[in-house]
Amino acid sequence: MPLRGTLNLSIAFLSLGAFSGVAIQSAQADEPKPKPENTITILPGEPVAPQKFERSPKFWIVDITDRSGNPQPLLVMKERGGVFLDKQPTAIVKDALEQSLKAANLLASDAASADLVLRVYVFHFGLASGSLLDFFGKVEFSTMVKNPKTGESLEVKAVGTSIANGAMRKKNMQKNVEENIEGALRDATRNFLRGTQLKEAVASLSKSEVVPAAAPIPAEPMKPQPR
Amino acid sequence: MRILTVTLFALMFAMGAVARPKDEAPQYKTAEAKHFTTAEGVELSPAFVDYFYAELRNELTKAKLVKEVIGEGEAVEDAEAPKSLVISGTVVEYKKGSVVKSALIGFGAGFRSLKMDADVVRRSDKQNLCVIHVHVKIDPRWNEKIMAKGAAHEMVKEMKKALADGSKTVSTEATKPS
Repeated sequence: MPLRGTLNLSIAFLSLGAFSGVAIQSAQADEPKPKPENTITILPGEPVAPQKFERSPKFWIVDITDRSGNPQPLLVMKERGGVFLDKQPTAIVKDALEQSLKAANLLASDAASADLVLRVYVFHFGLASGSLLDFFGKVEFSTMVKNPKTGESLEVKAVGTSIANGAMRKKNMQKNVEENIEGALRDATRNFLRGTQLKEAVASLSKSEVVPAAAPIPAEPMKPQPR
Repeated sequence: MRILTVTLFALMFAMGAVARPKDEAPQYKTAEAKHFTTAEGVELSPAFVDYFYAELRNELTKAKLVKEVIGEGEAVEDAEAPKSLVISGTVVEYKKGSVVKSALIGFGAGFRSLKMDADVVRRSDKQNLCVIHVHVKIDPRWNEKIMAKGAAHEMVKEMKKALADGSKTVSTEATKPS
């Protein structure tokens, strides 16, 4: 009797294992794979003209980190065979920022010659949950603006959004997603470069640099010691 | 035949003349939409506020109410500040609705309901140009983002009307899809 019970249990375990294997295999088959026909290229487009600063500083992007927590940063849409990016979101954001800074002559040639160094953290890049009727593109990042001379730093946040129409055909859908993310990226770049947060950060970090050091106390003449 | 052609041409010109004021340059240069806040007890996801912000900006661009719609916290040149708007607001009330009530009773019973208040102020002197109250109702089976879409559309429509008329307070109620 106990042998029969063990046999039944073994059969149950084996069948469970086999079924779960089938389930995993079918899930893997549904997982979209990047192919040339479902990969889109995000271009930064026209450079964004930054705001005017009192004293034009030179920026340098020292580092850019993905903080989205997304295990598949290249996959922007899972449905209908998937839509993939051809580059990492961090590289795309870096290109967009550098292009706009360069066009405005605000990009330093290297880190050593920069007045302010930027450390960018990307929190969201791609599509966000919207109404099912359209695509909601969102790009969100935070930047630590640091004065390398004083070591002081301030945080500047930027967010860009875009809404594009949905589409029935896959080709149109990919085109709309691409345009949507490009719009959100342009919006976020603009939000960063024209934001009051950056203006205040630049003013504050530059001010701390020009504050003169404490004036030396003039040495008092030696008084003759009474004998 | 000739008279008919002449009449048709005259009608076309007349229609063109009527349509021309629509293409006039907008009265305001920039509009900054801010993320709306939610009143205590309003159970909406944070994604709703984000989506509404994007949708409001989208509707403002489509309505051509202003020359340029800027993002939250963007700087505006001092010369442009008197012709710039800042739109902020609060989600005052949200009711989830009931699918059962909607299916059994019908006639709008059990609909999801959203009430929002918005203030439109001039950037330079912070003068309140108008206050808009929007009340949107949708079927409870619909996504809450569709409600955001409807609310943004109604809000911009009323804003456009209020700024054109010079009226201070506007209230509107809409059931979506209308």
